Amino acid sequence: MKKLRLLSLVALACLAAAPAHAGWQDKLQNLMNPESKEGKILSGATRVVSSSQEMTYQTECTVGESLALESMQRFGKPVADEALQKYVNLVGNSVARNSRRSTIPYRFVVLDSQVQNAFAAPGGIIFISRGLLNLLENEAELAAVLSHEVGHVAEKHALKSIRRAQFLQGAATITAATMKGSEGKKFESMIGDLQSTLFDKGLDQGMEYEADLAALETAYRTGYDPTALVGVLRKLQQEEATAAKNGSWFSTHPPLDERIARVSAALARYPDRAGLAKLPARFAKFVKAGKGGKTTK
Amino acid sequence: MKKRALGGALLLLALYAGQALSAETRWVVSEGTTLKTEQSVSAPNLADLPVGAELTLIEGAGRWLKVRTADGKEGWVYAGRVSDTAPVAEVGGGDGLLGGSLQKSQIDTAKADSARSIRGLSPETAQYARQRGTPEGLKKELDRILARKVSDKEVKAFLKEGKIGEYAQ
Repeated sequence: MKKLRLLSLVALACLAAAPAHAGWQDKLQNLMNPESKEGKILSGATRVVSSSQEMTYQTECTVGESLALESMQRFGKPVADEALQKYVNLVGNSVARNSRRSTIPYRFVVLDSQVQNAFAAPGGIIFISRGLLNLLENEAELAAVLSHEVGHVAEKHALKSIRRAQFLQGAATITAATMKGSEGKKFESMIGDLQSTLFDKGLDQGMEYEADLAALETAYRTGYDPTALVGVLRKLQQEEATAAKNGSWFSTHPPLDERIARVSAALARYPDRAGLAKLPARFAKFVKAGKGGKTTK
Repeated sequence: MKKRALGGALLLLALYAGQALSAETRWVVSEGTTLKTEQSVSAPNLADLPVGAELTLIEGAGRWLKVRTADGKEGWVYAGRVSDTAPVAEVGGGDGLLGGSLQKSQIDTAKADSARSIRGLSPETAQYARQRGTPEGLKKELDRILARKVSDKEVKAFLKEGKIGEYAQ
């Protein structure tokens, strides 16, 4: 009888353990599926491992600063409106701290250019042109554009797109001293490649779609209505026929129809998005007030 | 009697294993995240949660989640500040994996940034600008861009003013 009781207890224990065991097996199997929770954890871990082979943050900043200098040569200086620059930095930093790469400092800059564009330099310096800013209607739309660019910085899209650059084949670090020698030449050549990618050819289409999805997630997590990204894309679509294409979002980004379709489908992930912040009045106070915008001397 | 105790222990073990394996993990991905006593931004803080901290989800599917920290503290965290995937780790000196290195690299990036804002653009970028013959005016613009820092306090006040996220009513 005692044996029977013991057996029944063991059987009960096994039954209770069975779902746990099955769950464990499932979790193990799920590791192979990149879309599963376990797969995402594994990919996060492997990302950390592989990142030790990548460029250091300090060198990434040097790349970003150098590219920032070239960006201003091409598109113009920052708009001389400190209140506007501060406002855009506040919106940008609000979303950046909820992005997948929240621990680095970000800078956001409004450039005095009528070409409708926004782009991100590695390391976290993000530019938006006065032309694109003027097209927007509220703070949620600005947050959507800046979140898209933060997504590129977080996933290091620009650096991934120039993986074959000679500089990255070597030590991939730079100092003021080595900048003067052959490493400096390779570095300069890499900055040239980055300009051509960001301003003319555009990033890989997959990276743009990835940044769009990241923008929805980041804006939503911050508390902005993610639907605003669709609003921005639709406005760009209306502009497409007449806007200057060279160096703009039109020439460097995938077709707007496809982006709108993908973003609209992804919005289903945020069923409680209605009622999230849009803030047209605060946006108008800072952006519409100095719409002309002057450059600093 | 001993056997019964063994059986009971086995049962407990199995139940515990089931619970442990079904527990869901969330990672803190946002700067300035705090553990609250209640589901409100104005509730008292139980702990500051660093980016990369692992939390066990206890309950909640809405905007606030009840979680347990690694050192056993239970409280509420705003859902927008955690994710079911780990945040991107920074590449500092290229040492270490996970946990400690993530926190160390955050310190490195903070140091790098405060040094940058004091001296403006880095010596490496200054050398690049010399070689490229970049106009002085543009170097000064970049200095201004790098000096324009936004503090955590300013961001919180900005979100509060706009009634955004956890400050929404």
